[in-house]
Amino acid sequence: MTVSANYDAIAKCNKCGFCHVACPIFRATGHESGVARGRLALLRGIIENRVQWNEEMEDPLFTCLGCGACTTNCFGAVPTADLVLEARAEYLDKVGKKPAHRLLFEHLLPYPKRLHAAAKAVALGKNSGASKVANALGLLRIFGRDLPKAEGIVEKLPMSSFRGTIKPGVYPGKGKDLRVGYFVGCGVDVIQVTAGKASFEALKETSKSVTVLENCCCGLPPWSYGDVDNTRKLAAKNMKIFSENDLDVVVTDCSSCASFLKKYAKIFKDDTALDPAGQKNMPKFQDMVEFLSGKSDTKEGDRESQDVGSYYDPHSAGLGEQVASRGENSPVIITYHDPCHAVRGQGVKSESREILKAMKGVEFREMPEADWCCGGAGSYALTHYDLSQKVLDRKIKNLKKTEADILVTSCPACMIQLSYGIRRHGLNTKVFHISEIVEHAKDTAEV
Amino acid sequence: MITETFVQKMEEIVGASYVRKTGADLELYSYDASLVTGRPGLIVFPATTEEVSKVLKAAHDHGVPSVARGFATNLSGGTIISDGGLVISLSRFDEILGIYPESRYAVVQTGVTNLELQDALSPLGLFYAPDPASQKVSTIGGNVGENSGGPRCLKYGVTSNHILGMQMVMADGEVVEIGGPAFDPPGYDVRGLVVGSEGCVGIVTEITVRITPKTESVITMLAVYDAISDAAKTVSEIISTGIVPNTLEMMDNTIIQAVEKGGPCGYPTDAAAVLIIEVEGVAVGLKEQAEKIREICMATGCRDVKTAKNQAERDLLWKGRRGAFGAICNLSPNYLVNDGCVLRTKLPEALERVKAISDQYGCPVGNVFHAGDGNLHPLLMFDSRNEAEVEQVHKAGWDIMAVCAELGGTISGEHGIGHEKQDAMSMVFSGHDLNTQQNVKLALDPSDLMNPGKIIPLPPEGSDRLPDQEPTILKRPGGKDATGVSEAIEAIKQAKNENRAIRLAGSGSYNGMGNALTAEPVSINSLQMKEIIEYDTENQFITVGAGMSLMELQEKLAENNQWLPIRPPFCKPESTTGGIVAMAAVGPERSSYGAPRDMLLGLQYIDSNGQMVSTGGKVVKNVAGYDMTRLLTGSAGTLGLITEASWKIATRPEACQLASAVGSLEACATVAAEVIASNLLPNSVTAVQQNGDWQLMVGFEGIAGVVSYQIEQCLGLMSKAGLKDGAHRDYPVVEGCFTEIYATLEQQPFVAQSEVALGKVSQAYQKIEKICSPEAALIDFGCGRIFASFSSLDTTQWDNMNNVFSGAQGHGKLLKSTDDFRKGNDVYGLKKSEWQLTHMIKSALDPEGVFSPGALPGRA
Ligand SMILES: Cc1cc2nc3c(=O)[nH]c(=O)nc-3n(C[C@H](O)[C@H](O)[C@H](O)COP(=O)(O)OP(=O)(O)OC[C@H]3O[C@@H](n4cnc5c(N)ncnc54)[C@H](O)[C@@H]3O)c2cc1C
Ligand code: SF4
Ligand code: SF4
Repeated sequence: MTVSANYDAIAKCNKCGFCHVACPIFRATGHESGVARGRLALLRGIIENRVQWNEEMEDPLFTCLGCGACTTNCFGAVPTADLVLEARAEYLDKVGKKPAHRLLFEHLLPYPKRLHAAAKAVALGKNSGASKVANALGLLRIFGRDLPKAEGIVEKLPMSSFRGTIKPGVYPGKGKDLRVGYFVGCGVDVIQVTAGKASFEALKETSKSVTVLENCCCGLPPWSYGDVDNTRKLAAKNMKIFSENDLDVVVTDCSSCASFLKKYAKIFKDDTALDPAGQKNMPKFQDMVEFLSGKSDTKEGDRESQDVGSYYDPHSAGLGEQVASRGENSPVIITYHDPCHAVRGQGVKSESREILKAMKGVEFREMPEADWCCGGAGSYALTHYDLSQKVLDRKIKNLKKTEADILVTSCPACMIQLSYGIRRHGLNTKVFHISEIVEHAKDTAEV
Repeated sequence: MITETFVQKMEEIVGASYVRKTGADLELYSYDASLVTGRPGLIVFPATTEEVSKVLKAAHDHGVPSVARGFATNLSGGTIISDGGLVISLSRFDEILGIYPESRYAVVQTGVTNLELQDALSPLGLFYAPDPASQKVSTIGGNVGENSGGPRCLKYGVTSNHILGMQMVMADGEVVEIGGPAFDPPGYDVRGLVVGSEGCVGIVTEITVRITPKTESVITMLAVYDAISDAAKTVSEIISTGIVPNTLEMMDNTIIQAVEKGGPCGYPTDAAAVLIIEVEGVAVGLKEQAEKIREICMATGCRDVKTAKNQAERDLLWKGRRGAFGAICNLSPNYLVNDGCVLRTKLPEALERVKAISDQYGCPVGNVFHAGDGNLHPLLMFDSRNEAEVEQVHKAGWDIMAVCAELGGTISGEHGIGHEKQDAMSMVFSGHDLNTQQNVKLALDPSDLMNPGKIIPLPPEGSDRLPDQEPTILKRPGGKDATGVSEAIEAIKQAKNENRAIRLAGSGSYNGMGNALTAEPVSINSLQMKEIIEYDTENQFITVGAGMSLMELQEKLAENNQWLPIRPPFCKPESTTGGIVAMAAVGPERSSYGAPRDMLLGLQYIDSNGQMVSTGGKVVKNVAGYDMTRLLTGSAGTLGLITEASWKIATRPEACQLASAVGSLEACATVAAEVIASNLLPNSVTAVQQNGDWQLMVGFEGIAGVVSYQIEQCLGLMSKAGLKDGAHRDYPVVEGCFTEIYATLEQQPFVAQSEVALGKVSQAYQKIEKICSPEAALIDFGCGRIFASFSSLDTTQWDNMNNVFSGAQGHGKLLKSTDDFRKGNDVYGLKKSEWQLTHMIKSALDPEGVFSPGALPGRA
């Protein structure tokens, strides 16, 4: 699709400027190229021949986090993130695609095993300090100029991937009749393995069976680079897997994957081969947060939500002393970060609060600007390190205000970024996936 | 012209990454929220005042024009500079520098958004009153630039009423501090002039704003109408009963549809119009007020009045209102928003004519506006991709401005003139008025480099002045034809011909003020100008000749249970209203009712050429052009002879009562601070000496029940703090309760008046006592003021006192002193850098120095 095809949507922007307040990039740079109004103005400039396709368009198009905050603040709900994303494709086409991206999108992401191997090589290199291996592999370099600076973002990589330990296949659960497919996102698979394990346990709790899927990347990364072809390929692979397994619902503990899976229907609606609505045997998609809250119904209307009312023991989070030092019976202070892909991508917001507030031993404190992007935005932190850190600094400043012991979220990319910020600012706060919190609480309850 | 060298210079100053110049960059800075566009030549992002100063100095040296840019949400093309000019983006000035609750002010950098400031103040129980619908995304600097208003301004006034001072960089890079935490600095009201100057006189980097405690209670109502004219009737009716709601916002059916389409906010989509009416204040009596409003609504054809049950419902109503402009995109891609103001009673007629214009040009219209202020916002819909539609919409916009001018209003109430309404300025001002305004701009920016070519219509080819014609549409009664004016014009011309200095006067009661003149003057007074030129009880304004005494005016207004809420100190029965304007005289009630600068809607005066100049108008909101009204207010006869003034008037309060009690000065100060910080809404908080002790006096005015409740609360606070002899009494509306102390003060040869930061007044007074013991004093806690009289005063003492005033972030002046003293001293005390601006303006408007030469602060 070309930019001109979106002329109507772009022209709907009346330059009121209301998006300025919410755009993390604008608030970090103060430059009009970093805000929806500006990005749209340039697209309109292209259509109306005032602006040319050249490198000057790279920053305005690629500094967008795709967080969607602008749209929430826009009365016309101009879908800037989508419009920018589509324009990226034309940019890459007209101004040049970086071959490095193609390597990732075409050769790594469609193949979980190759990804595992690559990650393992990086892990070896990284954990042993020999990041030369990583460099040699080229994986860390493919993201471009900021990568050397960004290398410290991921603290440690597990030696074994999630699906290296828990092999794809069907596992029995404790529930009545719900058949769940567990979609393992790349981040959980190779980095947040512990979170994956917690999710896996939690899924088993209320379903008859949990199928660990042999899915590949959901397609969001190439989509964010405007690479429709590769997105299509990845989606096709996944759809095939969904329809082959007999499932009621596919759940993922990566909010980015969840929102993108839910988007398949919209993105591929003119594509009979890919439109989920046209497929046989297609399950529903759910974010782990929704699943845990039991709020958003699957076909099993009577499915119970997880028992999260149990006591949260600070020891399970390694917070024993920290919390004890605040005085007797003081609760663990928990706050929540809304991943963009949960709050705006899927409209999932209250569920997480309900889960956390229901736990005993927890004091939930709302973080200011909890739904602001953390600057992680997939590989954004790797490609635009400085900018992403500015966005992150604002997030950490807000986190500090809550004095939270634990910061919970539901997206592995956010977890990486937030943990990095916490390390850099020397805070004690621990970052957990919401599945981990639920597991912690349950463990204790069972003791 | 922007040369390579200039670009390099910029890069040296702000760093290469903060200088942008690619084609994409220029496109990005070629627009704002208006329809005006134009590509600049370069954009810089300075981070400090020093960088701004260097940038402007370099621009000045290279002859590069520049424009300051906040978040560019203005609706008049204020931030557009074409032909290769420089955009100075202030987005990096994003810090709140300090909040001082005890002194009721905050200092912010210019790029802080209005809402960020509100969010920082809210936990402290405070707020900053101006609340443009764009508050989320408009910067305080931009608000200052445009003199922005908002729903709440009906009760609290616009930006200009809440700006205490600023740091400003002049066109040549010089940095000046203007005003500060203390009220009413001596010299011309430069901060008043800067507010609304649309970046045309300098770049503001830091702003000192006045902050206000939140009120105890608020009630928000939604009144629903089947006819828009009924809603307009309600508005007039409410105001004329003397209730001043916070807001009286109207939305018509088109807007309701647009908003509800974007997301339900609780407006009935079948209503012809709704009014959002909000009242706030002490909880006692508020329900009754709301009930009274409901009765008025129902009596004027309202279908139904709903009251928001909780904060969430209230927020939802406001969300819809604040988002109304944006919501238009649910109906049409673009809109042109008009911003004219008319008298409230003319609203139905104005709306009808707007509708006719919309039909004529085929641009659909929706109306959402500040009905209480008569400030229309017709939103004309079109698609900016269609050139024919663009042309039609501009024509329709022009005609709507003409209608507002014809109905006695103005072309812009809060959005500013910029490029978009520049030519329409001739509808409401004469060529000479406009040339005078341009003179003021050029006085401060002689090379015309600050946002040039804005606000004032461009002169015809080959000339640098506009032809001297009358306003093309607005008819201003009075003026040259009012009684006594032509005689005064002649007298001024004659004196000028004879090379005589002129002292302008009213009754002469304020003659002794100001510095000693440097030439023996002839006196020309306004005493013949006693006419009532226009009195509109319903719209609550009166235009009177400057020679009419305040007493006479009050008597006239009393006939309709109205008054001018001002009780100037040392006012004599013969003191003229013109004199009060010229001296900006105001008593302790300033803290609640405001000063003359807050009550004057417009003026006419005779300038040093003997020509009439008009300023402002008669509607309560008016940002058409530079704020000449404020510039003249307090100019003490150094700029021209004020011939008439249009005042905003009010319904007389039902009751005026004073609570008083006695104790030490410290104890009184403590209680005063408590009362000021409490939920009570006192009109004045003062103390006078009484047998070696001090008597604290707190005045309350308004609805009887509310007044007596507050008196009771206040006496409670007083006795709890150990003050003795608690008592209360009524006092007369017009005279107030300070006539006695003024008379006592005046008996001495020296009377000083000082304003300092709120909360620092008693310490300052104690220091003054040590320098020279006052014979009498009035301490005004509410305004941070001291009036003190002395039997003698020498230069050293006066200098020391001024050091005390400066130490308390304030200033002082002598209202009365001996001729001898005035020969050797500046009665305005220590020299301040901002006075140079006063002198620059003075020499531009009175180049030969005919009016009271030497009288201004900072005499040689
Ligand atoms: C949807 C919408 C709703 C609005 N609602 C209202 C409303 O209710 N009431 C209202 O009054 N306005 C309203 N506006 C208009 C606009 O938001 C205001 O004029 C606002 O004050 C502009 O702020 P800004 O930061 O965007 O300033 P800008 O647009 O960047 O600048 C405005 C002017 O001020 C000058 N300026 C900016 N900063 C400085 C500085 N530091 N020193 C000197 N000059 C400076 C600029 O040169 C320019 O002339 C609305 C606009 C929109 C789009
Ligand atoms: S909020 Fe929407 S309409 Fe307004 S400037 Fe931003 S994108 Fe455009
Ligand atoms: S999607 Fe996020 S980063 Fe992109 S323009 Fe909108 S608010 Fe800014």
